[in-house]
Amino acid sequence: MTAIVPPPSGPFVDEGLSADLAAAALDLARRFHDGATLWVISPQWEPHAHHVAVEFVHPVIVGKRALPSVALVEPDPVAQARVATSPGDLLLAVASADQPAVVDAMRRAPAWGAVTLWIGSGRRPPAGAANHVLWIDSDDPMVPATGRFVLMYHLLWELTHVCFEHPGLLKPREQDCTDESCITCGDEGRLGEIVLEPGDVAGQALIRTAKGEEWVDTSLLDPSIPIRANDLVLVHAGAAISRLEEALR
Amino acid sequence: MTSDFSGQEPEATSFLYPFIESEETDATSLLDDLAASARGKATESARLQRESLDEYAAGLTAAGTAMAQRFLRGGRLYTLGNGGSSTDAATLASLFSRPARGRPVAAWSLAADEAVVTALGTDVGFDLIFKRQIIAHARDRDVAIALSTSGNSEDLMTAITEAKQRGLLTIGFSGHDGGRMAAADDLDFCWTVHSQSIHRIQESHAMLGYRLWSVTQEHMARPLTGASA
Repeated sequence: MTAIVPPPSGPFVDEGLSADLAAAALDLARRFHDGATLWVISPQWEPHAHHVAVEFVHPVIVGKRALPSVALVEPDPVAQARVATSPGDLLLAVASADQPAVVDAMRRAPAWGAVTLWIGSGRRPPAGAANHVLWIDSDDPMVPATGRFVLMYHLLWELTHVCFEHPGLLKPREQDCTDESCITCGDEGRLGEIVLEPGDVAGQALIRTAKGEEWVDTSLLDPSIPIRANDLVLVHAGAAISRLEEALR
Repeated sequence: MTSDFSGQEPEATSFLYPFIESEETDATSLLDDLAASARGKATESARLQRESLDEYAAGLTAAGTAMAQRFLRGGRLYTLGNGGSSTDAATLASLFSRPARGRPVAAWSLAADEAVVTALGTDVGFDLIFKRQIIAHARDRDVAIALSTSGNSEDLMTAITEAKQRGLLTIGFSGHDGGRMAAADDLDFCWTVHSQSIHRIQESHAMLGYRLWSVTQEHMARPLTGASA
């Protein structure tokens, strides 16, 4: 007489998701190895953010190393993540693809120098919205309460610790930025976030990018639109060359 | 940041990599192994969830029905847990208080307020952080659900005893061999997830809680006339 929805019969983690988890775990281990902190946001389901943090800080398996992870659960998670994140850190969201604060944080994370992970269910975020998208393809809105998200970050934790047994794979990689010809770090148009609006020195604004903070020339930007703190701009050769549309504002 | 690999317990997968690990450079085989491991653990998670639901089907229906009756009389739900289980307790409370569909009811996690938890922890002791809140909040129409992967947490046990004395419906989610919770007379229902993995136990606790919520919703959606159950 009770029409209870049964658990799904298909595999919880298929080939594609398992490959995504593996790649994410190796990246996570490498970043932790380099000194990263894992920041976690989940505006819809804050307990998930807390669970991820306690998982890494106080492992359930005795002897596993404690890793720095913090849940950011203040009313404005974007502001909290902005000030918390340093270049090389990790930002993990547990959220649906349409959660506005998470969409905004993921968009800004490249300017903060953060590697991003996004766990969720339902409609997927657009391609490239995060470095690692770990997704449950189900339209059931109850998925977040059935243990599937818990399984996802448990697996991420478990696999990350397996990676620590392979120190050779945690070293800097050859394809990483080692010289000035690297396209990623070259001046190809980097995402920057305005820290200080242009002041006395004509057109010079302080921005932060994945490389840190720098003063850039903003005289190429449309002068009819005021430049405000936290605006996103593209930086090329020491100048802000265009704004990113602030579509979410 | 310290990088103390020497303190690590080697995992059983180490034998799969017959080279000197500090000189390992090709991640392909590791990634394949990680992916296979993820699929295996996920399969076990799903199996354990199904097995737990089957084993406790009758109790879940009875407990969910009793909870619905209490909610209809204005009862509230308190959830209790430590560490990761405190977050699962908070997720369960949110499922009842702001579900994506269905009727919301009053529910909260007794670990959620850091002012209350730290005040009680420092003044009367950690073992009493939940019991003192039960004394403050509880009415006889309320419900308490305690989540513990070991079934042995002292702060949960003392709170459950207090809750039972005050007429609450008391429910325990346990793990491993059930621990003290499995033998507790003060629990009206106790469901032990039979696993040695804290992670897999927590994943099944979530599913048991979800089923409990589903049954409760089902009963709260019925007209009261003729529903004497």
